[in-house]
Amino acid sequence: MNGRVETWSRLKGDPAGVAGLLIVGVFLLLAAGVWAGVLGQGWADASGGRWESPGAEHWFGTNVLGQDIFERSVYSVRTAFEIGLVVAVLSTLLGAALGALSGWYARTWVDGTVMWLKGVLDAIPFYLFVAAVAYALQGRPWAMHLAMVATFWTTTGRLVRAEVLKLRGQDFVRAARTVGLSDARILLRHVLPNTSHILLVQGTLALVAAIKTEVILSFLGLGVQDGVSWGLMLAESTQEVPAGHFANFAAASGMLFALLMGFNLLADALQDAMDPRQASL
Amino acid sequence: MRSVASKLLNGVLLVLGVTFISFLLMVWFGPDQTYTLIGKNASPEQIEDVRRQLGYDQPFWQRYGEYLRELATLDLGASNASGESVRALLARTVPVSLLLMIPGFLLGNLLGIALGLTAARHRGRWGDRVVTVLSVTAMSISFLVVIIAFQVLLSTPYGLDLFPVRGWQVDGFVSYLQYVTVPTLALVFVTVGYNTRFYRALFVEEYGKDHIRTARAFGAPERLILWKHVLKNSMVPIVTRIMFSIPLVVISGSLLLESYFGIPGIGQATFEAITSGDQPVLKAVVGLTAVAFVLIQTATELLYRLLDPRVAR
Repeated sequence: MNGRVETWSRLKGDPAGVAGLLIVGVFLLLAAGVWAGVLGQGWADASGGRWESPGAEHWFGTNVLGQDIFERSVYSVRTAFEIGLVVAVLSTLLGAALGALSGWYARTWVDGTVMWLKGVLDAIPFYLFVAAVAYALQGRPWAMHLAMVATFWTTTGRLVRAEVLKLRGQDFVRAARTVGLSDARILLRHVLPNTSHILLVQGTLALVAAIKTEVILSFLGLGVQDGVSWGLMLAESTQEVPAGHFANFAAASGMLFALLMGFNLLADALQDAMDPRQASL
Repeated sequence: MRSVASKLLNGVLLVLGVTFISFLLMVWFGPDQTYTLIGKNASPEQIEDVRRQLGYDQPFWQRYGEYLRELATLDLGASNASGESVRALLARTVPVSLLLMIPGFLLGNLLGIALGLTAARHRGRWGDRVVTVLSVTAMSISFLVVIIAFQVLLSTPYGLDLFPVRGWQVDGFVSYLQYVTVPTLALVFVTVGYNTRFYRALFVEEYGKDHIRTARAFGAPERLILWKHVLKNSMVPIVTRIMFSIPLVVISGSLLLESYFGIPGIGQATFEAITSGDQPVLKAVVGLTAVAFVLIQTATELLYRLLDPRVAR
């Protein structure tokens, strides 16, 4: 796959893509710092007074409980990456698997079943689906992840299905069949690798969607149950903002925006770099 | 006609699917309702009685059939929390949500179409770049952040302080405008990024087609190309997007807007049902919106077959 080198050089030549990579890189370092136990460890301690102003002691000030907002917003980077990565990886794998099966066995009962399942999941308004899953699972912390994976795969699945349908009729697949390779081997070794440009972009978009969704769900009380996240900080801040305390709101929304912007820029640049025909459209 | 029949069959299968999933999640796997309905110190007979009323002694398929019957006949029971019948609750709250959501929904789409057109006509030049950067920026801001920011900027002493902070005391057009403006602006802001990106891609493709180039070569005025060729040919995807996003934007959007601004619509009712585990309300809302979505989708596709010969093939 010499396309990889080409993709990389096109990505490096795109200022928006480089900016996206840099932003995501900085956040990854922060998350690594939290994972390693160096950063954000004091997120739960009441280390100051209530609503202290930003200063040398507490860079972003403190919240109503006297907890350090900087520590909390940095620790939330880890929460965001954990939710984003789990949901993005699982939903992309599921979408790739179901999309590939339904494209490969197009117009059979396999395809019919997968497309029906996709139609059903797309028909239930997302937040209601999450609410229903959370309701059925009563307070289990992974209800949110499960609901997102169960619904996010459908877009990836649709795109992979269309691509596999296209690849199925091409010469290299026919050749592989003639040689006598099994369906499973052709799909895994020869067809799916050719959908990687879809998977990478869709995975990045799923990551953005998961992080954004966590914020709404945590506000609705359906998201992160213990720990801290930007969603929980924003939910906290809805009580503080009317009283004129903006530090929690500014810290959480600023970090959230920067990370989402980084991933969105990266997704766009990846799309252009891996599919130059589309980019020149 | 065979394709019409298969569309209808497809719609029926989807309705069965969405109702089955909401039944599984809300009724079959949902928490036991017996003790929510019964007071303390109930006798074993009373417990047995309530369980029979709830149908817990019935087999799986019979209970699913019962759920389907409830949805089909709108015989939805009463809310556990307030005792109000779910039908009355829907009749009271749905109109409020429509009043709240329609202006923002329409403006978000119109603005998206206008910006998408601007970008597509100036593709690769400054206008396009500005629109693209703005839409990516808007896509990177959380709905919750937008709501809080608009509320602070427009409805509190820290900003312009022009509108009521929250609530919905609507008794005329002026008070309607007062209460609907801030939520509408938030909704437009949060949807316009995604809409613009979608419509831009659509119009870029349409402007790139051969018949447009031919029309230009023959000296057709830009205005004619815009209205007669680009917009007219884009109507099918535009209508599809609008129709398909109605249930999603209206329900998901109203859930957040209404619970945040304290507006007594279906979103707030659903939010309260979620937090208090009010099963009759939840299963009705989930089941009915999903069915409504499938109906809209099937109707739209059938409509195209009648209107657009290209779709019927």
